[in-house]
Amino acid sequence: MLTCCLWCPDWPVVAARRRDPSCSGAPLVVRERVGSREVVRAASAEARAEGVVAGMRRREAEARCPGAVVVDADLPGEARAFEAVARAVERITPRLELERPGLLSFPTRGPSRYFGGDEALAGRVHEAVAAVLDLGEGPVPVRIGIAGGRFAARLAARRADPIHVVATRDTATFLAPWPVAVLGDPDLAQLLVRLGLPTLGAFAALDPDAVAARFGAEGRRLHALAGGGEEALPVLTEPPPDLVEDQELDPPAARVDAAAFAAKALADRLVERLADRGLACTRVVIEAETEHGEHLSRCWRHDGAFTPGALAERVRWQLDGWLAANRPVLDGGEAASPSERQDALGLAEGGLDSTTGALTRLRLVPDEVVPAAGRQLGFWGGDQAAADRADRVLTRVQGMLGYDAVVTAVPQGGRTPSERARWVPWGEPREPERPLVAGGEAAAWPGAVPPPSPAQVFDPPLPAELLDADGRPVVVTGRGDASGAPAHLRCPALPRSGGRLSGWAGPWLHDVRWWDPSARHRRVVWQVVVEPDPGQAVACLVVVERGTAAVEAIYD
Amino acid sequence: MLAGERLLPVPGPLGALLPGGGVQRGSVVMLDGPPGSGATSVALQLVAAATAAGEWAAAIDPDGTLGGAAAGEAGVVLDRFAVVRGVPASRWTTVAGALLDGVALVVAELRGRLAAGDARRLTARARERGAVLVAVAGGPAVWPAEAGLRLHVGHGAWPGFGPQSACLASRSTEVHAEGRGARRRGRLDALVAVAGIPPPSEAIAGQPRGERARQC
Repeated sequence: MLTCCLWCPDWPVVAARRRDPSCSGAPLVVRERVGSREVVRAASAEARAEGVVAGMRRREAEARCPGAVVVDADLPGEARAFEAVARAVERITPRLELERPGLLSFPTRGPSRYFGGDEALAGRVHEAVAAVLDLGEGPVPVRIGIAGGRFAARLAARRADPIHVVATRDTATFLAPWPVAVLGDPDLAQLLVRLGLPTLGAFAALDPDAVAARFGAEGRRLHALAGGGEEALPVLTEPPPDLVEDQELDPPAARVDAAAFAAKALADRLVERLADRGLACTRVVIEAETEHGEHLSRCWRHDGAFTPGALAERVRWQLDGWLAANRPVLDGGEAASPSERQDALGLAEGGLDSTTGALTRLRLVPDEVVPAAGRQLGFWGGDQAAADRADRVLTRVQGMLGYDAVVTAVPQGGRTPSERARWVPWGEPREPERPLVAGGEAAAWPGAVPPPSPAQVFDPPLPAELLDADGRPVVVTGRGDASGAPAHLRCPALPRSGGRLSGWAGPWLHDVRWWDPSARHRRVVWQVVVEPDPGQAVACLVVVERGTAAVEAIYD
Repeated sequence: MLAGERLLPVPGPLGALLPGGGVQRGSVVMLDGPPGSGATSVALQLVAAATAAGEWAAAIDPDGTLGGAAAGEAGVVLDRFAVVRGVPASRWTTVAGALLDGVALVVAELRGRLAAGDARRLTARARERGAVLVAVAGGPAVWPAEAGLRLHVGHGAWPGFGPQSACLASRSTEVHAEGRGARRRGRLDALVAVAGIPPPSEAIAGQPRGERARQC
């Protein structure tokens, strides 16, 4: 049975250009953070012509293409923008499956007959998506491939210019010359090349039993794919009808944040209940009802079984896409009329496309399940099993103690230790409030207290008194002149309530938000070492603001 | 499991103190020290050792005072380190037991009196799961059961920091390690220096930085 695959190459670039039309002329590079490095997520055609490749380090990309504009990756934004494309295709066929922003597929049997042939269908889809994207001059970045099976259709889309149709009987011959690396398993590909089987055709020519004996069930699956077989999973079971996870949102959620926690809980529950029966989900339908009675649904597919994290992420993207029309202001900061909003989302035609109300119900329906002992593809380069275990336990503790009780730290820019780390609840995207890097270089925070950072930080700071040798509080003028050298620190929280200082450093003067009269405040920071008892040295960070001193941190 | 796999290696001068160069998985480490001595920094170094090995770690921080920037500087991979705050004393044992199920290392600040039975149950859970429980005692709170390794952090000093210094730069911490070690038995003293950015005006040569181990 033929499948049609619609692929927008470099979708992150297209989404970035739609978000910010000013960077349309120049070559564009989208970067993302992988571990501690910044790598290129996608590059525009001009940048690729200069030799920039996805996955290379950002610095190397900038060296190869100095005129390129570099922007940050925005996965939710890409998903949101792709929602418009999905809606356009949905008008032609309702049975589409999203794999990730930029890639969707659907079976062609019904629509193909309706539109009079595969070529005609592909032409219609291309037209509809081009109308939605509306990028003006230049080639439309949409490729459509039709072949037998999703794997072959994806390859056909790569070959497409912009449409490529392969009949079912020709699929095997179409696949034969492709290199084995496209199967997506680099170890297997390397091994096959060393064995002298560099193409899919050579691999497919082997005996299936021999392949199963040598490479296992996974190898046999890939062997079937290479031969043009369907994406046949070992046992395709009908999902049990009682495994639908349902959640009523009360009060109705008009923003993604409100629904995100419910979405994560739903995703966790669904995966857990499936796992209890020894099943894993590879395709899920995300459904929602709005307060105006509309029903929204979208089908998402995953390469491999859905983990709770991946499923929750896709639900969040989908909610983002549906609720995007509810946002009262555009990025420009001015309120927008409904027609302006629709234009901004690229919806050329009006009608029922925009969500007109908040969501009252969220439902997850597993559409395709496989036995759970099958494929568990690793994700972020860590041990996936350990990450899943930790996620389950942390979510459980979150349920016991409250959403804000389990947090992780995100480093961010700031002057004091408490400003330099942001504590984000588990499950929320780990983004800093003030980025560490701005415009390609480390952001400067004049007056910042230098590292090492203290291990104990008090928020709110502990009240204290910083006195000079005569017992008077130490005061610092606006120009940085201290009234006297600090000699004593008294703080009830310290052992023996503080004592004599054996050393001090500073003062660091902070004039925070001096341009905003309502938010401006000034403070002075000292580093001191107190000796409550001889031989015991406690280093503290003391902040003096408006004449009152407080211990903000202890270097424990 | 091989003996080598059961050890969580701890790099740096702290690891040189520990028997085998690391912490045994499935054991309990008791860590204590007077406030301001550096016990929290030692705990963060253990967390860094666990996350550097690719595993997850968690901390029970009832008062919410753990410094995130300090964790990052100690080498902790912040993606794999979670902090649990606002734990009431009545649920401390439940939360600690739940965390031991899922992560490889748990740093738990003791609050109030812990029953000996609860401590033994947590020890058994840690052994069963192969996780490390670092019990940080402070003041009146103690760990009322057996511990495979006891680390006492003594009074620290900030050498070279006097009136009108440029900033806090280097520190020396006294750590005593006691436990059933493979080769070293008894107490070991070492000076573990945690160096920051050296002040530009101070002479570095001649300052006792780095590790100096004296066996007693």
